[in-house]
Amino acid sequence: MSDKPTRREILGHAVRGATLVGLGGAATYLLTKSGKEGTWKLNPEACVNSRLGAVGVDVCERCATSCVLALSAVRAVNDHDKCGRCYICPAYFDVQSAITPEGLPSQKLCPRDAIDRKPIGDIDPDDPANNYYEYTIDERLCNGCGRCVMACKEPAGLTSIRLEVRHDLCLDCNRCAIAMDCPDDAYDRSPVS
Amino acid sequence: MIEDSNVRGCEHTRSWRERRARRGTWVGLVCVVALLLPAAPALGQYERPVDAAPAAEDIGEDYAVPVVQVHPPRAAWRELVDVIVLGGALGLAAWIVHWRRSRRALVALTIGCIAYFGFHRQGCVCPIGAIQNVTVALVDSQYAISYFAVAIFFLPLVLAVLFGRVFCAGVCPLGAIQELVLLHPLRVPRRTDRLLGLLKWVYLVAAIGFAARTAVDRDFIICRFDPFVGFFRFAGPLHMLLIGGGLLLVGVFIGRPYCRYFCPYGAILSLLSRVSWRRVTITPDKELDCGLCAEACPYGAIKDLRAERSTCLACARCFDYCPRHRIRTTGGRAPEAAVSPGKES
Repeated sequence: MSDKPTRREILGHAVRGATLVGLGGAATYLLTKSGKEGTWKLNPEACVNSRLGAVGVDVCERCATSCVLALSAVRAVNDHDKCGRCYICPAYFDVQSAITPEGLPSQKLCPRDAIDRKPIGDIDPDDPANNYYEYTIDERLCNGCGRCVMACKEPAGLTSIRLEVRHDLCLDCNRCAIAMDCPDDAYDRSPVS
Repeated sequence: MIEDSNVRGCEHTRSWRERRARRGTWVGLVCVVALLLPAAPALGQYERPVDAAPAAEDIGEDYAVPVVQVHPPRAAWRELVDVIVLGGALGLAAWIVHWRRSRRALVALTIGCIAYFGFHRQGCVCPIGAIQNVTVALVDSQYAISYFAVAIFFLPLVLAVLFGRVFCAGVCPLGAIQELVLLHPLRVPRRTDRLLGLLKWVYLVAAIGFAARTAVDRDFIICRFDPFVGFFRFAGPLHMLLIGGGLLLVGVFIGRPYCRYFCPYGAILSLLSRVSWRRVTITPDKELDCGLCAEACPYGAIKDLRAERSTCLACARCFDYCPRHRIRTTGGRAPEAAVSPGKES
């Protein structure tokens, strides 16, 4: 590099300056149009699980399988306000499985054993059927396959379990891979409220 | 497929209605069966025992209904941290390449960026993909691009105008992963290199074209066909993992095939870095034309013994082949760079 700037260097500075100004202008323009981008949400009303409802039909597992993450960002959530706290919960037990001598189905419905069941309130130790049970879903185990959601639908259940996109896990892809596969278009990207 | 499932849905609605009509009979039957044969093979037709959730008072023992967990979206400050880390990494790369002049330091930064932008952020602090968001923001007035996406898109561009393609140097996790697998570089003939390099412009135009379509038809092909992001997430469609694996295999011999021939952001960077203020200088001080570096660049970016602004990925590999650089950094040990690393393919 010479000490005195050549014409070429001056031209270079000019072009560089103009480019930076252009970039700055474009960025400023875009920032005026910026906002908080929405997050992907699942509408439980539209979800295919709601409508299919009954036990024993084909499971739509796309929430578990289509997500770009190894473990999907969708989780089943039990809304305790709606939960019947049944002794035999069709979402916890596979009610089609053989009955044990205790009178409970021998198999659990969740393939990942992500639902926890515990008696609550006034516990009658002599008659387990006379107790209420709290069902909690372990978010670390659940992969959002939706089997429990389908089991906890009318007429078998009270619709207390729904699928939800967990926003702390969701990558907020430009186009949600599950949304593309969802047979019922239950996903949409709604603004943050 | 959608129609299909609707049909299925209707059938089921009908079948439950029928079932509901027979419900009374079933309740009685199930009760009798349950009472008489406790060891029956299965519950058969399950009937819900309650019609509403029990109230907390009925449950007793001061039972409190647990709160349903709510997970808010990622906090804005965390997004800001990503932007700051990106800016910091770009600055650090510029300093390493232009002032510190150390390949080793750059490799360390490369590994750090793979860890942060790759594995920690799962490839989603991505200026390459932000091309599409910027496009959508420009064509769709309904779309609010996030502030962070704007920052992520423009930061590397500004740095490219100042310091060349320092984003490619080791900050971009896609480039970084390819940089680390390039163990046995072969040189691509210049003509082929140039010709293949045009592909990234085609990709850029296609990406903008797909993103600029209406909201319903819009497609984000850069994200969908990101070849390496599956490795960072330990998941992905099989065909993309295969393509990614293939590119990495090719990348052992041909330096950074994705960056040089496909990356749409690389196309923009190659254009802007042409006017960069600083360019990579192979020699640390005076430029001597000894020619030992001529074969050193795996990316074919050394032309007439100078690093070419638009194609130089600022990987700092050439420094190790410059005798003057060696003298300065190793205190006069005899240069070992006479061995040519590049082999004619």
